[in-house]
Amino acid sequence: MKPLKIEQIYKQYGDKTAVNGISLEVGEGEIYGLLGANGAGKTTTMRMVLGLIFPDGGQILYNGKPYSHNQLQMLGYLPEERGMYPRVRVSDQLLYLAKLRGMSKRDADQSLKYWLEKFGVPEYYNKKLEELSKGNQQKIQFIASVIHKPKIVILDEAFSGLDPVNVELLKAAVKELREEGTTMLFSTHRMEHVEELCRNITIMHRSNAVLQGNLKELKGQYPRERVMLGTERTVKGLETLEGVTHVQRNESGYEIRIENEAAGGLILRHAMEQTEVRRFEIMEPTLNEIFIKLVGENHE
Amino acid sequence: MSNFWTVVSFTVRNKFRTKSFLITTLIFAILISVGANLPYLISLFNNDGVKTASIGYIVAETGNGAEGAKLAEQLKAYYTQQEQPNVVLVDFADTGTDAGNEQALKQGIIDQKIKGYLTFGDVQANGLPAVTYKSEKLLDESTTRSLQGALQNIRTEMIFKEAGLSEEQKVQLFAPVSIETMQIAAEAGAGSNADGLSPEQQAVNMGLVSIIVIMLFFVIMVTGQLIATEITSEKGSRVMEILITSVSPLTQMFGKVFGMFLIGLFQLVLYGAVMILNLSMPQNKDAFMNWNIHFDQIDPSLIVYAVIYYLAGYFLYAMLYAAIGSIVSRTEDLAQAVMPITILSLAGFYISTFSISNPDTLLVKIASYVPFFSPFVMMLRIGLTNPPVWQVLLSLGILFVSIYIFGWLGAKIYRTGVLMYGKRPTFKELRKAMRAYKI
Repeated sequence: MKPLKIEQIYKQYGDKTAVNGISLEVGEGEIYGLLGANGAGKTTTMRMVLGLIFPDGGQILYNGKPYSHNQLQMLGYLPEERGMYPRVRVSDQLLYLAKLRGMSKRDADQSLKYWLEKFGVPEYYNKKLEELSKGNQQKIQFIASVIHKPKIVILDEAFSGLDPVNVELLKAAVKELREEGTTMLFSTHRMEHVEELCRNITIMHRSNAVLQGNLKELKGQYPRERVMLGTERTVKGLETLEGVTHVQRNESGYEIRIENEAAGGLILRHAMEQTEVRRFEIMEPTLNEIFIKLVGENHE
Repeated sequence: MSNFWTVVSFTVRNKFRTKSFLITTLIFAILISVGANLPYLISLFNNDGVKTASIGYIVAETGNGAEGAKLAEQLKAYYTQQEQPNVVLVDFADTGTDAGNEQALKQGIIDQKIKGYLTFGDVQANGLPAVTYKSEKLLDESTTRSLQGALQNIRTEMIFKEAGLSEEQKVQLFAPVSIETMQIAAEAGAGSNADGLSPEQQAVNMGLVSIIVIMLFFVIMVTGQLIATEITSEKGSRVMEILITSVSPLTQMFGKVFGMFLIGLFQLVLYGAVMILNLSMPQNKDAFMNWNIHFDQIDPSLIVYAVIYYLAGYFLYAMLYAAIGSIVSRTEDLAQAVMPITILSLAGFYISTFSISNPDTLLVKIASYVPFFSPFVMMLRIGLTNPPVWQVLLSLGILFVSIYIFGWLGAKIYRTGVLMYGKRPTFKELRKAMRAYKI
């Protein structure tokens, strides 16, 4: 029984279809990546999972059961547009939110202190939210979504607007939650985060799921079309090789686009004839490339 | 249910933590104290001793001056008879010439022996010489009026003496003819005038009803606005999305409305306590007694009705304010959006206050059944006329049914509205979206 199962959900706003038959399953202790350009329907999908809006068709099952108010307590939500009470003390509003989700005040307080300690900001307990910097407000927002130890957490653009140190901090927290068996639905524009955290992904484009499945397998399906070449001196005539479509020179060497993997061998031999090769790699496609390819092409 | 109380306590606690709320409450309490003490304060200034004005005159022996001097002597006698004379007459010796006399009197003003002086002219048709009061003061009304009264008195005495009326006849002539009015109820009703009301009681009731209606209006407006503002800012700051995933919108909305109700109630009770405390202070009791206002004459049933109508009126308006608050995404747009409700409550308020001296009109009768007006208007009828009990119950019944309807509608709008961002939704969009949600 998967903690979260979405079956063919469908949502229409007027004439516009916002989500068109998305299905996905998220296992226990799994972070599922939901990707897509702006307006692709990610947030709508997440809102349907949260019960904020109801799907026009299809169904969402939580541990095999349909949506009900009781399910709310096992959900955690980090909305894309952050929102808390600016003029209320951090402890007051977080304990309030935790209590609304069925936590006792004592447990909530303990949980809050644990998280504040973890993020290295125990002194914020008695501060008003508006007194904190934006990045720190985001930490509080994150705590708000996990303080009640939810089974399913929905993170919409979890790391946007954070400095690299804080991104690492939050990423570590997300990983820790995963180890504890929390199921997470995760959306972001930062592909490297997805590659680092997610096992399975769905790429949405214009309300449809255009690519779905295990991240490793998906990458395997895409041809390796990029060669990184590092050499002692300049290499001439790379453009003339068969199968090479584009050569770009950068600080450490060359980034070469190829049509097939066979061209890689040609490049290596060609380069070794002229100079010493320090680095040669036929790169796996990055998620970024796959994303741009999928979403970008469809844009044409 | 526990979530309901969590929302209520959070709402109440946050309100009590805000400085502005505490300060406004305090200011109002102070204003009420000042208002309650006003009659006493006024009397304090009035009783500040009767000021006496010394007025000079010339003791002349010939011509107009002689007639005048005689009149002045009579005035002097009149004022010495008074318990608290506000005029004292001071005699000046005759210098022989008019100019010399004036000069002497003016010197009296300069030396601060007198405030002004009297000069006399020819004898008039009324039998007294023309009197002129000269002083440096601008329109010295109180002294002039006092002098006028004294002169009138002297003349009346004079005429009586000439006519040879007896002392008894004089008393009879001056005894005022009086007529008393009393408001009665021909049949038993919800009003408070079953035993008949004297004019004083009527006046007290009118005052009380105005105070109740004004309080009702203000509490409803202020708390209603607060509800709308809080909901809009929750929506604007997007905390709403988290709240809705934590607790059902209905619980949330009613928790907020009820929390605000407790705050409003707290303020009312506080203000009431401040008022009662002030009024029960001995100096105020006497002051109100002097103005013929007796608080023990207030009918307790009037207060009971006021409480019922306050509760009903508050919840009816609160539902609407909550619904409106949920539609708007930014607090800047809120003032405009709540305008229709404000106008609605203003209409009820004005129908009530403008009809206070005429509470029997058809408009008042009709308005006392209309749900949004009835809290104000039926209060007026109960306080000042004697509506049959069934009419009051009917009005309350209509009010309760509309609370239910608007509560349901409000919750529905709220459920829909809180997730609609961007421009304010049109009615059509709202209706369509509302159909999608079960509450």
